[in-house]
Amino acid sequence: MTELSMEAPPDCAAGPKGDNLYHWVATIFGPPGTPYEGGIYFLDITFPSDYPFKPPKVVFKTRIYHCNVDPAGNVSLDILTDNWSPALTISKVLLALRSMFTNPQTYKPVVPGIAHLYLGDKAKHDEIASQWTLRFAR
Amino acid sequence: MFKSNNVTTRLFQRQIHCARRFYENIVPSYTIYDVECPDHSFRKFTDDGLYLVSFSRNHQDVVVYRPKWLTFSCKEKDCDTHDLPLKARKFESFFTQLYSVTLASSGELICKDFFLYMESNQFGLFATSTAQIHDVPPTGGATQGVPSVEKITFHLLRLEDGAILGERVFHNDYVNLAHSIGAFLYDDLLAIVSLRYQRIHILQIRDSGDIVDVRAIGEFCREDDELFLNSNSQRVVLANPLQSLLHQVLVDHVGNGFHHSLPESETFFLSGIKQRLLSFIFRGIWNEETDQTMRVQCLKKKFYFHFQDYIDLIIWKVQFLDRHHLLIKFGSVDGAVSRNTDSHPSFLAVYNMETTEIVAFYQNSADELYFLFELFSDHFHVSSKSSLHMNLMSSHSNNIHAFEQLRCTKNKAASFSQFVKKMMASLPFSCQSQSPSPYFDQSLFRFDEKLISAIDRHRQSTDHPIKFISRRQPNILKFKMKPGPEAGSMDGRTKKICYFLFHPILPLALSVQQTLFLQASVVNIHFRQ
Repeated sequence: MTELSMEAPPDCAAGPKGDNLYHWVATIFGPPGTPYEGGIYFLDITFPSDYPFKPPKVVFKTRIYHCNVDPAGNVSLDILTDNWSPALTISKVLLALRSMFTNPQTYKPVVPGIAHLYLGDKAKHDEIASQWTLRFAR
Repeated sequence: MFKSNNVTTRLFQRQIHCARRFYENIVPSYTIYDVECPDHSFRKFTDDGLYLVSFSRNHQDVVVYRPKWLTFSCKEKDCDTHDLPLKARKFESFFTQLYSVTLASSGELICKDFFLYMESNQFGLFATSTAQIHDVPPTGGATQGVPSVEKITFHLLRLEDGAILGERVFHNDYVNLAHSIGAFLYDDLLAIVSLRYQRIHILQIRDSGDIVDVRAIGEFCREDDELFLNSNSQRVVLANPLQSLLHQVLVDHVGNGFHHSLPESETFFLSGIKQRLLSFIFRGIWNEETDQTMRVQCLKKKFYFHFQDYIDLIIWKVQFLDRHHLLIKFGSVDGAVSRNTDSHPSFLAVYNMETTEIVAFYQNSADELYFLFELFSDHFHVSSKSSLHMNLMSSHSNNIHAFEQLRCTKNKAASFSQFVKKMMASLPFSCQSQSPSPYFDQSLFRFDEKLISAIDRHRQSTDHPIKFISRRQPNILKFKMKPGPEAGSMDGRTKKICYFLFHPILPLALSVQQTLFLQASVVNIHFRQ
């Protein structure tokens, strides 16, 4: 768990909340060129006791309009479920989360409505998403 | 006094010093002791001097008086040497009752510490409330550990005739009414802090006397954020029947009235104001370091380690700095409810409610904030534009004597950080908590601030008169004021509390002395004979 300080991805940071090593907080800047630009996103990362054999649970504390984040903030990415591997580090998880901003996994959305809009009318999707950023993620 | 050719300086001199210097000659040196007067608790002279506001002893009615100057006729020759005739030595010679209005209804009582005056319209804001309930479960997003009051009502009164123009009710909420701490009036804008639901309600008082919602800052920042969220969620959810059911619940809740009851899942997110605060703090630490490895180390230590503490911060108190900026104090739940907030760590933030941005953030022990306060305290002491005489109030930023005193306290303090915390405890300032009376002008008079000051507060009373000494002639006693009975009290051991109400313009003041054992209070009238 200590490897993060060595190779933290750009525009991301994470650290344990208080002295509990199983409960981390991560921060991701909304990547430029996406409707999330200008936003700062806080996420809770909880490691199960059998980590790294089970994936950590990632929850957005900042509201976000995204097809892979359910209305309660729970993130559903393939690497955090079926494709989890004990070799994945926190840095890798942060990288995956960061790329989720640029490339939503529309083939396996948790909110299909947003995925449909993304595929059908991306301009409209981006407009709504950037409104969310402005209102809830600044 | 310095002499200057600068026209602004000269105008300033003329405005403040010359006009007010006459008060050195006209002082409230004569006292009518233990005057027979209605058994009310006297609250305040309005800052324009037009009204004296009081409350009936049973906390049901507001009784308003018009201060007037004493007149009496004398048949004999040497009128001046005569003592005041017995008939003139009464409360009614100085005050005419305008009306009495019942504000409290069914289980509510008037909060006798609460009164704000809107000078431009001669409106008065009063508060009534039911009893406070402790140990209430925090339902519907309420903060754990904050007591609840079933009903708090703010009443807007036209002081001219006592007509009730508007009211605003808060149900099962908690607003700190003592000394008007939970509310701040600036021009026509009123901020009310709901401690229980962690919202700053910004209201506008119209000329008609209507109280209109402008926005509520807390869960959301912009006035239409909630509407936006709901209209978007509905559309999103159509594809999923289970979730649309959930959102139907959400919409029903909101349609129900005020947004106090968001469903569980919604409260997992950071509130709007907390998101702004955390991203401001995060950005600050991020920008301090340029090396990514160092940066992450720094963030771990300074930010993530304390993340839960930041999350747990609640809004304690708010004041306006101007029409767009609020000074918000954050602290722990314990500190918000306990009387002694000094021992709890707290933070001060400047928030722009138009751009919804945090502009600055300091811990209460920050030297930087203290130095800003030392140099620019008048920027913290804001008052509505209409009340010009409030500009004349002495502060350590506009008065050399007040500054000297501050410096003295600073040098005497055992530790500088303790001193800073103590000074910062007064921020944000309470609204209209200072008397604009010229007798508190520190360029005219010197007095013991432990016994009396412009700040509206109850103080321990002694049997010694309070001396007002001339600033220009340091050895000349200008006048004395003595609260309580003329002969002093029989029992020297009883603890006595007193407070003073100064008329803002006339050489007229009331002193009210009370003992702890519910004996009738002693009211003295101090004026210039």
